[in-house]
Amino acid sequence: MIGFLFLAVVLIASAVWVVTAKKPVYSVVGLLAHFAALAAMYISLSAEFLGVVQIIVYSGAILVLFVFVIALLSSGVDPFSVGPNRLPKAAVPAGLLVLGSLALTAYGVFHATAAAAPLRPGGPGGRAGDANAFGSVADFGKALFTVHLLPFEITALVLMVAVIGVILLAGEKPPSAGTAERAAKVRREMREAIVRAGDE
Amino acid sequence: MIHHTMGVDGSYPFLLAVWLLPLLGAILLWAFGPQLGRLGGPLGCAAVGLAFVFTVLSWGAGTQHGAGGALGAHQLLVSWLPGFDFGLLLDPLALLWALIITGVGFLIHVYSIGYMDGDRAFARFFAYLNFFVFAMLTLVLSDNFVGLLIGWGLVGLASYFLIGFWIEKPSAVAAARKAFVLNVVGDVGIMFAIFVMFAATGSTAFGDVFAHAGSFGTTALLTVCVALFVGAAAKSAQIPLHTWLPDAMEGPTPVSALIHAATMVTAGVYLIARCAPLWSQSADAQLLVGTIGGLTALVGAILGVAQWDIKRILAYSTMSQIGYMIMGVGIGAYEGGVAHFFTHAFFKAQLFLGSGLIIHALANEQDVRKMGGLRKKLPFAFVAMATGVLAICGIPGFSGFFSKDQVIYGALEHGHPWLYAVGIVTAGITAYYMCRMLFVTFLGSYRGDVDPSDLGMRHPELAGTAHADDGHDGHDGHAHAPAWYMNVPVGILIVPTVLIGWLMFGGENSPWAHFFAGQFPVWHPGAAPISETLTTVIVLVVVVIGIGLAYWRYATAAALADAIPRLREESIRMPAVLTNLFYFDAAIDLLFVRPAQLLGTVFGRFLDPHVIDGGVRDVAAGARWLGVLTRSFQTGLVRAYALFVVFGALLFVAYYAFAGSIR
Amino acid sequence: MLQVAITNYIALSATIFFIGVAGVLLRRNPLIMLMSIELMWNAANLLFLAFSRMWGNNAGHIFAFLVITVAAAEAAIGLAIVVIVFRNAKNVDVDEVAGLRG
Repeated sequence: MIGFLFLAVVLIASAVWVVTAKKPVYSVVGLLAHFAALAAMYISLSAEFLGVVQIIVYSGAILVLFVFVIALLSSGVDPFSVGPNRLPKAAVPAGLLVLGSLALTAYGVFHATAAAAPLRPGGPGGRAGDANAFGSVADFGKALFTVHLLPFEITALVLMVAVIGVILLAGEKPPSAGTAERAAKVRREMREAIVRAGDE
Repeated sequence: MIHHTMGVDGSYPFLLAVWLLPLLGAILLWAFGPQLGRLGGPLGCAAVGLAFVFTVLSWGAGTQHGAGGALGAHQLLVSWLPGFDFGLLLDPLALLWALIITGVGFLIHVYSIGYMDGDRAFARFFAYLNFFVFAMLTLVLSDNFVGLLIGWGLVGLASYFLIGFWIEKPSAVAAARKAFVLNVVGDVGIMFAIFVMFAATGSTAFGDVFAHAGSFGTTALLTVCVALFVGAAAKSAQIPLHTWLPDAMEGPTPVSALIHAATMVTAGVYLIARCAPLWSQSADAQLLVGTIGGLTALVGAILGVAQWDIKRILAYSTMSQIGYMIMGVGIGAYEGGVAHFFTHAFFKAQLFLGSGLIIHALANEQDVRKMGGLRKKLPFAFVAMATGVLAICGIPGFSGFFSKDQVIYGALEHGHPWLYAVGIVTAGITAYYMCRMLFVTFLGSYRGDVDPSDLGMRHPELAGTAHADDGHDGHDGHAHAPAWYMNVPVGILIVPTVLIGWLMFGGENSPWAHFFAGQFPVWHPGAAPISETLTTVIVLVVVVIGIGLAYWRYATAAALADAIPRLREESIRMPAVLTNLFYFDAAIDLLFVRPAQLLGTVFGRFLDPHVIDGGVRDVAAGARWLGVLTRSFQTGLVRAYALFVVFGALLFVAYYAFAGSIR
Repeated sequence: MLQVAITNYIALSATIFFIGVAGVLLRRNPLIMLMSIELMWNAANLLFLAFSRMWGNNAGHIFAFLVITVAAAEAAIGLAIVVIVFRNAKNVDVDEVAGLRG
């Protein structure tokens, strides 16, 4: 219980830091802390494999990606920044209303689930490598490649599409510059040819 | 499907020739009118003439008696929906009408070559005439009510074309419109009758409907008869739908002769005679029709006394005589009514064509006050008109004598003593005004160069006098003798005008009765209080009194000497109720025309711009408003869109959390 | 069996989720918006795993794994778009990019 509370505090604090930090780089650091605490939480829930995956993929890949992009963009903008706030005035109270309603809804779900949810006994984890242990790599792998094979394959497809998309989107040469140059060159050559033909 | 029981089944292609030749003529004349020019006349005559020949050739087929009381020849054309087979039927009734239509029609076509000579639209006139003949033949040759209705409508259309033939004359155009509108009222009546008939028997063929006449039920039968009579009254100019007939005289005289005397206006008589099996079963309908027929005869005659335009005199005379016919077939004296149609066709055509001779010779003068003394100027016209007048008065030996007496006596035989009296009185009035016309036109001295106001003509245009711009371009304006085209048909018509009535001599054994054997429902007369011979004598006496009155007022030596002041007196002293034609026109104007115009104004000024148009505009405005509203959401701001996404998610979650079940 | 009642996990997850929503709606820097979206993903993951542990069912793990994968792909593409849009922009401000305004 203590552990849970501690981790919960960290999670919430880092989340708030992410959302409110002045610079994006600060937000990234907060996000890192968040992910670390989350991984700890996962492990406490006997999801060891996923905890490790969380660290590797999220903190290791995605956060790094964020850092690269921040570096790419000269991002020195304040959260309360220079440009005028173009959101219509009505949006602010509307947003607050939305948040409040969401909270209320969650509260309702919360109570509904609390009332309806019986607690079932589930086995805690066994020794490492035990294929039947809940949350172990072997257990997870067996489920992934047999019962849930199709989602796995589709996810692979999704990743491929994402990669292709990113390459297409943020590729090196913007096409417009090249075509404009080439078009101008062709026009010049044609004009010269006509002039030459007229001379003959 | 109910099968035909009337007519001899089996094809008879001559009927197609009779029916379609005039249509062919019309189409050729319409299509090639300008190119044909003067050839249009002979072409039109040929089409109708050939149709007449084929009709005569069909005499044998038309009068044959088949098995089970079937009569005549039948040609099925098209088998359409169940109960809607179209075909042609030629039984004695249809044969008689077809002979008149094509025969008298042919004579009038020939006459028109002379009368319409020099007219700008010469070929178009014959196209319309041919089209009319085709339409009328459709009406009488059909073997079912729908075909009859089609013919009915087409005949009304032809009448519209022909009345308004001189399109540059506004009065003609207005008259054509008036005729058409009133005829449409009749069309609706017939349509309604068809609906009821179809509902009761599931078919519209004559044979089927008449075979099941007994199964209609009294109210249904009465409804059908009344509805059919509305149609007949409109087409045959019976009260109160008669107001179009006098105005129809705006058309050329051959038109008046053919369709407003001999054929089209008799379509109502044909209809009732055809539907004899229906009428014989409804005494109420018979009483209604007979009464209106008698009333029309009387009113027509009274109004004929007050007319000064020679064609209007004849128009009211037509209305009155058709009243006789309607009265005859209405109360059940079918052979008498049809006989009167037969004789009337000849002598009325004769009278109209004769008047056409006069009008043509006098360069379109139509007011009898400006005539006079034409016995010496136009002797042939005088002979023609005189024979016609003698026939219509019912002078013994002339055609009208036989048929009119049949109708009058028939009224008594069928138990309608009041109609009998009306018939007799009307005969007297008829004699009076027809002789008035004859005397004023032909006796005395010619008044053509007398000042109109001296004759009491205050409003020459209202009396229907000369219209200088009626399209007769080829004439130079002074009187001249008509061509042989016009004289020959009139001469030919003298013969039947005088003699055709003898076909009916002999009662049950006459050729007429033999011709119609089996056509009409058999009826045995009860004992009549007055014998037929006595009736003949009474009618004769009344007629002589009428002629005598006319003679005393217009034809004595003293009257002729004093003609101009007398005519002026009569014109000035004419009672307003007669000059305004018993106010029928005013009544119709007040009851129907004004409200319709008011309705039109309301719609045009208020409802259309504000309600209907406004509604559409409001819908458009609403769409525009909706568009503006929706566009206000498109701020282009990512955060606003994110807000909307969250809204949507909220709705989903709220639904599942609070209302639905989580599946 | 969970040591901690499931309701606590629900509350925590909800809180993190709302913080993420707030971040998306209120911040104007696109990168921080994307990071807030990552917060939301992770909140959902947490709840998946908690319930999975409660029922003793593996499917929650699988689903969380798939969520991580898809979140990664989405982050990649989102960042690529941000790069393109704001490559030559003066301010990295999402409110300036209102080209879809109709």
